Amino acid sequence: MSNYTTIVSDVLVVGAGLAGERAAIEAASQGLDVIILSLVPPRRSHSTAAQGGCQASLGNCAMGSGDNTDVHFADTVKGSDWGCDQEVARLFVETAPKAVRQMSMWGVPWNRVVAGKKVLPDGREAEDPKEKEGLITARDFGGTAKWRTCYTSDGAGHTLQYAVDSVVIKLGITVHDRTEAISLIHDGENCLGVVARCLKTGELRIYLAKSTVIATGGYGRLYGASTNAVINEGNGMAIALNTGIVPLGNMEAVQFHPTGMVPVWILITEGARGDGGYLLDKNHHRFMPDYEPKKKELASRDVVSRRMIQHIRKGHGVDSPYGPHLWLDIRHLGAKHINTNLREIANICKNFNGIDPVNALIPVRPTQHYSMGGVRTNIDGYVYGLKGLFAVGEAACWDLHGFNRLGGNSLAETIVSGWIVGKKVAEYTLGAPELNHSYGLIQGFAKVQQERINNLIAGKQGKENVYSLRKEMEQTLMDYVGIFRNGPDLQKAVDNLRELYHRSLKIGLISNGKGANPELSTCLRMPGMLRLALCISYGALTRTESRGSHAREDFPKRDDVNWLKRTLAYWKEGSDLPDLQYEPVKITELPPGDRGYGEASASSAEGKKQN
Amino acid sequence: MSTRKFSIFRYNPNTPEVKPFMQEYTIEEPPGMTIFVALNKIREELDPTLMFDFVCRAAICGSCAMVINGKPRLACKTLTGDLKGTVTLMPLPVFKLIGDLSVDTGTWFRHLSVKTKSWIHSSKEFDPNAIEDRMDNETALEIYEAERCIECGCCIAGCVTANIREDFLGAAGINRVARFMVDPRDERSKKEYFEVIGSDEGAFGCMGLMACDDNCPMQLPLQMQLSFVRRKMVSFGLSAK
Amino acid sequence: MLVQKILTRNPKAELYYDLVELFTGIALVGFLWTHMVFVATILLGSDLFNTLSKSLDDYYLSYVGIPIIVLIFLMHILSAGRRLPTRYQEQKIIWRHAKMLKGTDTWVWVFQTITGAAIFALASIHMFVVLTGWPITATTSAGRIEAFWWFYLVLLLLGEYHAGFGIYRQFVKWGWFPRKPLGYVSKVITVIILTLGLAALWVFLQLGGA
Repeated sequence: MSNYTTIVSDVLVVGAGLAGERAAIEAASQGLDVIILSLVPPRRSHSTAAQGGCQASLGNCAMGSGDNTDVHFADTVKGSDWGCDQEVARLFVETAPKAVRQMSMWGVPWNRVVAGKKVLPDGREAEDPKEKEGLITARDFGGTAKWRTCYTSDGAGHTLQYAVDSVVIKLGITVHDRTEAISLIHDGENCLGVVARCLKTGELRIYLAKSTVIATGGYGRLYGASTNAVINEGNGMAIALNTGIVPLGNMEAVQFHPTGMVPVWILITEGARGDGGYLLDKNHHRFMPDYEPKKKELASRDVVSRRMIQHIRKGHGVDSPYGPHLWLDIRHLGAKHINTNLREIANICKNFNGIDPVNALIPVRPTQHYSMGGVRTNIDGYVYGLKGLFAVGEAACWDLHGFNRLGGNSLAETIVSGWIVGKKVAEYTLGAPELNHSYGLIQGFAKVQQERINNLIAGKQGKENVYSLRKEMEQTLMDYVGIFRNGPDLQKAVDNLRELYHRSLKIGLISNGKGANPELSTCLRMPGMLRLALCISYGALTRTESRGSHAREDFPKRDDVNWLKRTLAYWKEGSDLPDLQYEPVKITELPPGDRGYGEASASSAEGKKQN
Repeated sequence: MSTRKFSIFRYNPNTPEVKPFMQEYTIEEPPGMTIFVALNKIREELDPTLMFDFVCRAAICGSCAMVINGKPRLACKTLTGDLKGTVTLMPLPVFKLIGDLSVDTGTWFRHLSVKTKSWIHSSKEFDPNAIEDRMDNETALEIYEAERCIECGCCIAGCVTANIREDFLGAAGINRVARFMVDPRDERSKKEYFEVIGSDEGAFGCMGLMACDDNCPMQLPLQMQLSFVRRKMVSFGLSAK
Repeated sequence: MLVQKILTRNPKAELYYDLVELFTGIALVGFLWTHMVFVATILLGSDLFNTLSKSLDDYYLSYVGIPIIVLIFLMHILSAGRRLPTRYQEQKIIWRHAKMLKGTDTWVWVFQTITGAAIFALASIHMFVVLTGWPITATTSAGRIEAFWWFYLVLLLLGEYHAGFGIYRQFVKWGWFPRKPLGYVSKVITVIILTLGLAALWVFLQLGGA
């Protein structure tokens, strides 16, 4: 018999954030036996931190009137700088309004349209008609032609996660929280499940399932300054990459959010600018209209972030012990608005900076925020390379976002792709043959992990300290793979990370590694994190153009002739660099053109001079 | 730079032969240091075995509640500069201890959701082609006010009743029911609500000490929610046959 | 215990218990405060005190009132006493909790149970002594207080403490008033009643000594 506790189900979902739970619900409601593994209790997932909202072209509020799926589609494709899969984008925009309405049925208290005239912060007037009263309303977000972001005050992610989790509980879906998948089990063709480590006891377990869904979110914590939760270390991407068969798509596409609060790097939602907040420099000058006369603070995130760094480089930043920063000003929105619609922001400012945004400026700087890249899947969520393996949400490269994601599109993606892919998972699983696996193969995967653990505890491979390695990795990415990139810096990053990767194979534990030892958990993740870091920087070094969030100073133009393609990074066993391959990007409706904002745009005269 | 002393509860249920004890650590204290920063520093520089939980580190997820100098609080948003003398850290009571400062709030709160049937009870089928049912914006805001609970467990840890009675749902549970009672989408009857919470496990177990109201890091109006549910339960209980 | 068992089968038992605790509590606080105001008439002279006592007797208020109060008293003990930590394990938890968590609220409750139990004992003795020495006059009262002044001092402090915090907690639980002003008002009333009580005690002591 097996040495390890073995748990069998039809569907195994790794990650209990919004996308994972939404997919699990779809599979469970078709009668399948579903188990969800999660690092933390589901309601603690990073999805809950999404404050701003969820894009869906309902067109209910006055400023959203005339909106439709075509407009949403165009915004998304332009936002992605033509890097996204247009078939996926089309499917997404068509489904988003339905998903948002479904969430309303499940309990999300979306803010609603209140009829009447209102004056916007910029002085414009809008009137919501009586016949729309009580329907789901929306706020303004960056890179959108209409007000399209549905919200619940500033707790959209929180209320969505609670509503979705309430359905998980209602359906009685099993959740094993504090369980970390540390390896996929596969036979080179089919994914059979995972080897997981219990973070309560340290026990290794085997989970077998007909289909496995990776929904582990992003890798923000590879960077030293990230708005992400500390659990966002890209675990799911790492174990997929480790198979050697599964590619990661567009890992070099890393989003920096314009407004991370200095110095704790906690996110100040885009809703702050959507609701009328300004960016100011050290002279309290509102500089964004100088660069982006049309969209101002509400150009897409990559553009605003670059403009901010550009402005700081010109010497207009505010000096601080944590480096220069800029100001976010929401004072003119008034105490009432700030303390209801933007209450979480007010709390965050008070708790972590001791300032009240009603009468003080918020120090901000662009901060790592989102990974557009991830485990490459097709439009149905099937992961390239292994049957029975799916990926969804930020962990996946479904490729809705291309090289830049629009604010509000990720929360929408979780519930839309969770729904769509969940259905495909159910369909696949219902038609899948009974689990037929070799005992030795499965035990082998667990034994490899057990051996890693034993070696780490014994210090057999070396005595490298995991925490110092980690700091060096974080710093390398911060210094050389940031908002503006160039060849020499990226080469430095790759060289550093390669060396760190070799050292990561020689980590030894300081402590005894017993039970749910936290040091051991970090050690087990470290080589995988470095592989991801190498995929990011090597992909960035190789891509000799600028597209969306990938901005090369030495190649400032988008190059559709050579680079209208998606990076696929594979990790061959024994290698210390990813093997990069490319595939074409599917263009179905909207051929590459002008975004309407940003450096390359004709409408942005100042921007042209800059670059 | 000034230094700060921490006295931290240590016990690992996986090694019961080592009895619980308080361990002291001293670290440098830069300005603006939170307990989040401090604990990570202790783990990375002094003691890699120390167990504690953080997720969002922004007071959104509710993972890091612990008893800090005698008060249940979120560690991520507690500045050491606001505390006097040695910082004493204990795990939350009531919840099952995982190790050191880490407790199992997940299991407890899932049980709470199951027990209070915390989901929208509706007979309606979802029609993907229909527009959404209308709702008054004021109602939406009222629901959100109760829904803001992050299940951190501070109200439970500070509650005398919850400490004695294993089955008491506490302020978090009663507030959760209040959230569904104000939601017009939930079709549950008075009788059904009364069965869920019209007992000493729920509304009538509260002894009015209001530690929950004092300790809530989200500043939820728990006194008002608890009394709202209590009054509703009386009227439901007395009106139901 | 039998009564409790029968009631517990009723799904609404705990609702009724809670209501009984509320109403008996309010009645007892009302009684206690009126009682103390009556006792405090001694401050205005023995004659007034005796007249008041006699008129209560004459209109049979004492004969009707005392049994009702005793009944309410017992009902209150039964309904509120259900919350007392009975098992040793529970008591240990309470003490540990009170010691670990700073802030007064746990202590308030610990004292509430202790004072409640003590009042049960002391008030019973008080009633027994008063009823066996009927009727109440300034002289007999002064005699009792001279002999047992420490007993009455303790009972006064316990009673006022229990009533003050009890009424505060009930009002808070039912949410009729916000906490902060409510706490203030209940404290002020408690201090007034306590002052009256202490003054009356002092006067009785002087009378007894004379």
